[in-house]
Amino acid sequence: MITLLKEILNNMTIDGWHIDERKIHAKELFYIRQDIDMSRSKDVHNFEVTLYKDFEEEGTKYKGSSVTKIAPTMSKEEITEAFDDAAYAATFVKNPFYPLLDGQKEDHIQMTSALDEKALEAWLPDFTEALFKSDIPSANALNSAELFLNKNFIHILNSKGLDVSYENYSINLEFITNWSGEKEEVELYKDMNFSDYAPELIVEEVASMIAFCKERAEATPTPALNDFNVLLTGEPVKTFFNYHIAQSNVRSVYEQISTFKIDDKIQGDDIVGDKLNITLDPTLKNSTFSKPYDLDGLKLIKTKIIEDGILKHYWGNSRFSHYMSIEPIGNIRNLVVDPGSKSIEEMKAQPYLELVEFSDFQMDQLTGDFAGEIRLGRYFDGTTLKPVTSGSLSGNIKDVQKEFYLSKETHQENNYLGPKTLQLKVNIAGN
Amino acid sequence: MKVKMSKFLTDQKSHLKKIVDDLSKEFKYVSILAVDTKGKAYGVTRTGYNLGDSMWTERGFVVRAYNGINYSEYSFNQIDPNNLDELVSKIKNEFESSTAVLKAAKLNQNGYPVIEETALKDAFYSDVDIHPSEVTSKEKINRLTGLMEEALSYSDKLVDFRCNYEEVVISKMFISTKKELEQAYIWSQGFLLAIVRDEDKSKFYYDSFAGLKGVELMDELKSVTKDIVDGALKLLDAERIEPGEYDIICAPDVSGLIAHEAFGHGVEMDMFVKNRARAYEYLQKPVGSNLVSMHDGAKAAYNVSSYLFDDEGTLGSDTKVINEGILQTGISDVLSALKLGTTPTGNGKRESYERKAYSRMTSTFFTGGQDKLEDMIASIDKGYLLEGVMSGMEDPKNWGIQCMLIQGKEIIDGKLTGKIVSPVIMTGYVPDVLNSIDMVSEDVKIYGSGTCGKGHKEWVKTADGGPFIKAKGRLG
Repeated sequence: MITLLKEILNNMTIDGWHIDERKIHAKELFYIRQDIDMSRSKDVHNFEVTLYKDFEEEGTKYKGSSVTKIAPTMSKEEITEAFDDAAYAATFVKNPFYPLLDGQKEDHIQMTSALDEKALEAWLPDFTEALFKSDIPSANALNSAELFLNKNFIHILNSKGLDVSYENYSINLEFITNWSGEKEEVELYKDMNFSDYAPELIVEEVASMIAFCKERAEATPTPALNDFNVLLTGEPVKTFFNYHIAQSNVRSVYEQISTFKIDDKIQGDDIVGDKLNITLDPTLKNSTFSKPYDLDGLKLIKTKIIEDGILKHYWGNSRFSHYMSIEPIGNIRNLVVDPGSKSIEEMKAQPYLELVEFSDFQMDQLTGDFAGEIRLGRYFDGTTLKPVTSGSLSGNIKDVQKEFYLSKETHQENNYLGPKTLQLKVNIAGN
Repeated sequence: MKVKMSKFLTDQKSHLKKIVDDLSKEFKYVSILAVDTKGKAYGVTRTGYNLGDSMWTERGFVVRAYNGINYSEYSFNQIDPNNLDELVSKIKNEFESSTAVLKAAKLNQNGYPVIEETALKDAFYSDVDIHPSEVTSKEKINRLTGLMEEALSYSDKLVDFRCNYEEVVISKMFISTKKELEQAYIWSQGFLLAIVRDEDKSKFYYDSFAGLKGVELMDELKSVTKDIVDGALKLLDAERIEPGEYDIICAPDVSGLIAHEAFGHGVEMDMFVKNRARAYEYLQKPVGSNLVSMHDGAKAAYNVSSYLFDDEGTLGSDTKVINEGILQTGISDVLSALKLGTTPTGNGKRESYERKAYSRMTSTFFTGGQDKLEDMIASIDKGYLLEGVMSGMEDPKNWGIQCMLIQGKEIIDGKLTGKIVSPVIMTGYVPDVLNSIDMVSEDVKIYGSGTCGKGHKEWVKTADGGPFIKAKGRLG
C-alpha cells in the first residue's frame, strides 16, 4: 500500500507529502465482577496522508496543507480522488511557510516490553489474575472492568526521505470498585494506562481503590472551607500541571494563547512555596506516550523545560518551532516533575483536607481555572480525621502558584512521574 | 437533496452476506456492521488554517458472533473479495484462539442467550438542503475567514476568534441472518470561539450549532459573532462566585447537561446489568418534581444522533425516561436487554467500528413547561442564571453531578444585575436538584455539537437540551 501511495503522490504536482501509517493488533476483555462478559479482537491498518503546496502572495511564502485518511480498502481511483481533493484544498490553506523535516531511512525500533515474550491473547489470563488478586468477591468489591491490550506499529515517512518506524504496546485497564457501607453502597472509577506487564501496579491500584471505596461508603458531606490547607493527591496533581505544559507549548505561544516567555518566572516573583522543575522525557518507562519519534518523525530527546520556576524551553512540533525560530524538541508527552521540599507527613501537620478522588478534576489550560466535584476526601480539623464526599474545589492557578508545595514522595501515573501530593490554599464549596 | 449510500458498502454487500452465511454454519448468531464515514473539518484562526478529514472518518467492519456462552467480536478493515474464505478462517481463528485461552485459564464466562431476530429489511437516507459536495472547500474556508475577520474587528482585546466547521457523511450497513439494514445521513456542526485577554487575565466564550444538516448550517453561524465577542469581553470583568447553595435558572444548554449527566448516563441499562445504576432501584418511583419529564431516543428528536438503526441493528425509538417526575425505564443496547429481559431501545452505539457497543444516549432532553423566563427571574431574590457548558461528569451509582459552566448571571430581587461570575461548578445530589425544579419554561432547545464519553473514553455524538428550568443548586 505504501508503494501505491508513494507512486500516486510522486506523480502529482505538489510540493511535499507526509505519510503516517498505523497498524493495531488488539485483544480486549470485558468483565462483570469476575466473569468474562465479552471478548474482542481487532486488526486495523490505517494511513493518514498530508499533501503540501507551496505558494507566494505579495512577496510572502506560504505552505498549504491538507490531511486525508486512507483506508486499505480504497481503490487506486478513490485514493487519487482523495489526494486530488487534498491537493486542491492545500492551495488556499494560507499558512506561513515552514520546511518539512529532512531525513533518511532509519532502522526499525522495537521498544522493549515483556509483552514481546508471547502472543497478545496469551497475556489475557496474566492480566486477569493481577486484576482479581486484590478483589474481595464476597463483597463484590470489583464491580466490572475492561482490558485493552494493543500492539502498535507506527511508520512515518515524508517526501524529503525521512522514513522511521517503531513498535510499542499500549494497555488500558478501566475498572470500577464498589463497597456497601452502613449508609449506602458506593463506587469509584479508575482508568489506568501503561505499556508493560507490571502486575504489582494493577494489584496495588485495585487494592487502593477498594480501600477508597470503603472510606467513601462511610464519608460525610464535605464542609465549606475558605482559604483552607488542601492536599491534592494522585491523578489531580498530574492534571494540575497541564496548565504549565500547555502554556509552554510553542504553538500556544505562537498563537498568543500563552503569554509564557523564555526565562520568565512563570510562577511570578517572590515565590514562597516550591519552585517548579519539569522535564519532558520521551523514554519514561511504562508510559504509553514513550516513543522515539514524534508525529513529524523528529527524534525525541529528554529536555528540561522549566527549571526553578523559570521557563527554559518551549516544546512542540517542527512547524511552530520554525515559526518561532527555535530548534524543535518535538511533541513529548511524558512529564517528569522534580519532588518538592515537604514530606506528606509535614503537609499534614496542620488541619487539612486531602482530596484523593474527584468526579473529573479539570484544569483550564487557557485561563488557569481549576475545579472538580469531590468523590473522596479526608478532612482533619486538628482533632479528628474523617472521610468526606461531595462538594467541590475551585480556584485559579495564578492565585495559588506562589505558595504551593510539592511532596518529597513521588509516584507515576502513566506519562507523569512526580510529586504524589500538591499542597495549596483554596476554597471548598460544601455543606 | 437525498444522501446517497456509500458505493463501497453497496459493492461489499454480497461479500458481507457470504461472510455471515459462512460463519453462521458454526455460530448460532452472526452479524456484521459495516461503516464508511467521510468527513471534512475546516478551521480558521488568526494565525492559520486547518483543513483535513474529520476525526470521525472511518471505513471498516465489526463481526459479532455467539460463541456458545456469550458474544465475541472482531474489528477489521481489510477485505479481499477474491479471498473471502481466508477472511472467514481468520475471523474464526480470532474467536477460537481467545476462547481457548480463556477456557484453558479456567476463567468464568458470563452466559447470554442467543439473540433472536425478526426478519427485517429497511433503509434510511436523510435529506439535506445543501450537500457538502455542492460547495467547494475554498468557499467554506472563505466563509469562515469572513466570520473571523468580522469578529476580530470588534475589539483589540481579542487574542483570537476561532471558527470551525465540520461535515460528516455516514453510511452504515447491518447484515445478519435475518436483517438487512442500511442508512446514509449527514450531520454538520460549527463552533465559534472568542479568546480575549486583559493584562494577564484570559477568558473564552463560544457558541455552537449542529444538526442533521449539510452546508446550510453555515448560515446559522453568521449572526452570532458579535454576541460571542461581547460575551467573552464581559467575562473579563467576571468575579469568582461565593460558594454556596442558590436559586438557579439553567439555560437550555445547562438543562441539557443536567438531563445528560444526571439521568441520561444513569439510565444506560448496561449499568443496570453491572449493578452500577441507582436508577434501577427507582423504576416507577419519583426521582424529581412533577414538572420533570425527560426523553431519549434516535426518534425523540431530529438531531445528530437520529438514525434508523443503531450499531447493533436495532431500530431507533423514542423512550420516555421520566414522566412527571416518575422514572419510567432506561435505554439499552441488545445484550443488556437480553440479560435484563427487556426490549432493546436502539441505543447500542459504538465510538467506531473498532470499539465495543454500549448503551448510549442519542437525543436526551427535558420537555417544556408553562412558565415564562421573565417570571422565573422575577421569582428569585438572590441567585444566578447559569449559561455556557464546559463539561460534565456522571456518577450513576451515587447520583452525584458535576457541571462545569462558563458563567452565572447574578439575579437580585427578581432582576438581572449585570454582574457575572465565572467559571461556575455546579454539584449536587441528582434527586435533590430534580426535586427542587419548580418552574419550567415553554420552549425546548436541543444542542448537538458535543460528544459524550462513557467514563473517560468511547466518544460518540449525542444531543441534549431542554427548556429553562428553575431549581436549587450548589455552586462553587
